[in-house]
Amino acid sequence: MSGTLSGRQVLDPRHAPPFPVAALPLLRNPQLRKNVAHATDVIQTKRARLVAEKTDWQELRTAAAAIRSHALEHLGSYLEEFEARCTSAGGMVHWASDAAEARAIILELLRQEQASEVIKIKTMTSAEIQLNPALEAAGIHAYETDLAELILQLGEDEPSHIVVPALHVNRSQVREIFARSMGIKDLPDDPKALTAAARTYLRQKFLTIPTAIGGANFLIAETGSVAVVESEGNGRMCLTLPRTLITLAGIEKVLPRFQDLEVMLQLLARSATGERMSPYTSLWTGVTPGDGPERFHVVLLDNGRSSIVARPTERQTLRCIRCAACLNTCPVYRQTGGHAYGSVYPGPIGAILTPQLMHMKYAQSLPFASSLCGACYEVCPVKIDIPKVLLELRAQVVNQERRRAARLRDPMFIGMKAAHAIFAGARRFRAAQRLGRIALRPFTRKDGWIRSLPGLGAKWTQTRDLRGLPSQSFRQWWVARGKEER
Amino acid sequence: MSAPALSRQMILDRIRAATLNLPSEAPMTAELSRSYIRRGKLGVQDRLKLMIERLREYDAEVVDCAPEELPAAIGAQLALSGRRVFIAPEGLPAQWLVAGFDWKIDRGLENAEIEQAEGVVTAAFCGVADSGTIVLHHSHSEGRRVLTLLPDWHLCILRANQVVETLPEYFDRCPSPPVLATYISGPSATADIEMTRIKGVHGPRFLNVILVRNED
Repeated sequence: MSGTLSGRQVLDPRHAPPFPVAALPLLRNPQLRKNVAHATDVIQTKRARLVAEKTDWQELRTAAAAIRSHALEHLGSYLEEFEARCTSAGGMVHWASDAAEARAIILELLRQEQASEVIKIKTMTSAEIQLNPALEAAGIHAYETDLAELILQLGEDEPSHIVVPALHVNRSQVREIFARSMGIKDLPDDPKALTAAARTYLRQKFLTIPTAIGGANFLIAETGSVAVVESEGNGRMCLTLPRTLITLAGIEKVLPRFQDLEVMLQLLARSATGERMSPYTSLWTGVTPGDGPERFHVVLLDNGRSSIVARPTERQTLRCIRCAACLNTCPVYRQTGGHAYGSVYPGPIGAILTPQLMHMKYAQSLPFASSLCGACYEVCPVKIDIPKVLLELRAQVVNQERRRAARLRDPMFIGMKAAHAIFAGARRFRAAQRLGRIALRPFTRKDGWIRSLPGLGAKWTQTRDLRGLPSQSFRQWWVARGKEER
Repeated sequence: MSAPALSRQMILDRIRAATLNLPSEAPMTAELSRSYIRRGKLGVQDRLKLMIERLREYDAEVVDCAPEELPAAIGAQLALSGRRVFIAPEGLPAQWLVAGFDWKIDRGLENAEIEQAEGVVTAAFCGVADSGTIVLHHSHSEGRRVLTLLPDWHLCILRANQVVETLPEYFDRCPSPPVLATYISGPSATADIEMTRIKGVHGPRFLNVILVRNED
């Protein structure tokens, strides 16, 4: 292992270029686009088949949305209930108001464990707080144990999808990464052999490293239990074999009751991977003597979430159960893949979640990275009206820009101001029409279309034609028509 | 107040402030919309047929037998596997420990010993036909979680009266929630490389089920 993690680029909305800039090189990468299109097509086909066989799919969505909304509206009580139950079952609950605090808590726990290595279950929350670089800087090596996360870690790459983080990497790229970093010559590129190589590589780590870090799909307030849904069994290894387990979970992950899982588990795997249930769902409660870790810590992470709860339209963002169905269906994501979003949360859900987690101070281009087609809302298992939240966030971004001094040099702002002045009075409007007709005449072809404009107008005509102004406006035609009739 | 307690208070205060203006007469969770399907409509035979079908879709090996045939059926499965060393949870019925094999009874086995065994035989708490899911609550006959994790081959004995059709029906069978639970829907798998499904990443590669019919 080279251990150069700390030196490489991480997905950080504070330093990421705006979406349109970041998307360009990705759009010019045919291999990446092919990989993303293939993966999203496969998942979508499987999802559609399994959703269709559920005759009560809409009722399940409605119930899930109601349960998640209810949990958020009473978040304080449910978190306290979870804390009390988890603690009485032998768990330790820690509260982290932001990413730095969460990292500090985890590092302190690892220091008490005298850990120099940890095994990790895939958790987006850990990527959100940039835990791996912090561990590396503290001299603790983290082994990602999810196959996709392992591919990314060994390939010094970043996740591009919430459920299948390495979907932009194909088999021959995986072969290269594994052959290089595991020192295996003659590794074939068929997925079976590659998976077997990962199994062998990680088996000893599972059996020997006594500390694990993972996330949570759900926290159950009623019982203080935690649920993790996975496919490979690496999660079960991390949850069962080590002496100490640290679970990092966003405060929004809480469900009121154990029974609420009957709704969530029917929706999650079908939406995420197109399976009826994921191969393994694990549920545990604090510490059980003789079965699993002796020490169990939960770190509850706020990091901007409580301020999202405060806003009625945006609150629904936190209903998300991270299935990524919105990514797979999104016409924008399917073209660019995940890295363009500059965040560990890409796609439509990332476009609303990321800027909010950043308190609208970064990632303001993301709410505009959407055609507002609504496909994301349609597939969302917890009915998050993503287009509605996108519009709300766009309004906030525009309001921010209105207050900025740089607006006076912004053509969009000047254009809008001018339009405001013109539309405010009938005489001004008519004068503008006359002027426009004269100004556009030299560029208008005989067929009535404008193919190219100079200056700023070229930005429009670069990709589309513009209809020339007709020789007569509707109002002029109406008046003339009235005269003829008389 | 110490720093951690301060963060706790700060986060809870922020949440309380954020939810302050919401209607205080909020519905109880029991009153939330739950118009999805609770009970299945299939008869016993069709329910079992569906369970077997769904398990087979996951490449699980399924056989069925009458209660009195169970020890023989276990013996046949173990022999077919070509394996010899098997783990058994402490509470596994004695008549399931068929002769001719090397049984390691779990009375606090070390992980290394479990890992070296070739297979494991357990009971189950429930089977959900709709998704082909086997539910373990890790009782004495179902074993500690690690027992069904490290060996590469898992034989699970499921009784017909443990099979329900829908997931909500399983929840109805849990008057008090389990402390530990594992829901197994097919053998360990991944599709992380080009969405090609590969069986057996870290958990058992082989899942075998004996369905015991005509109970009661």
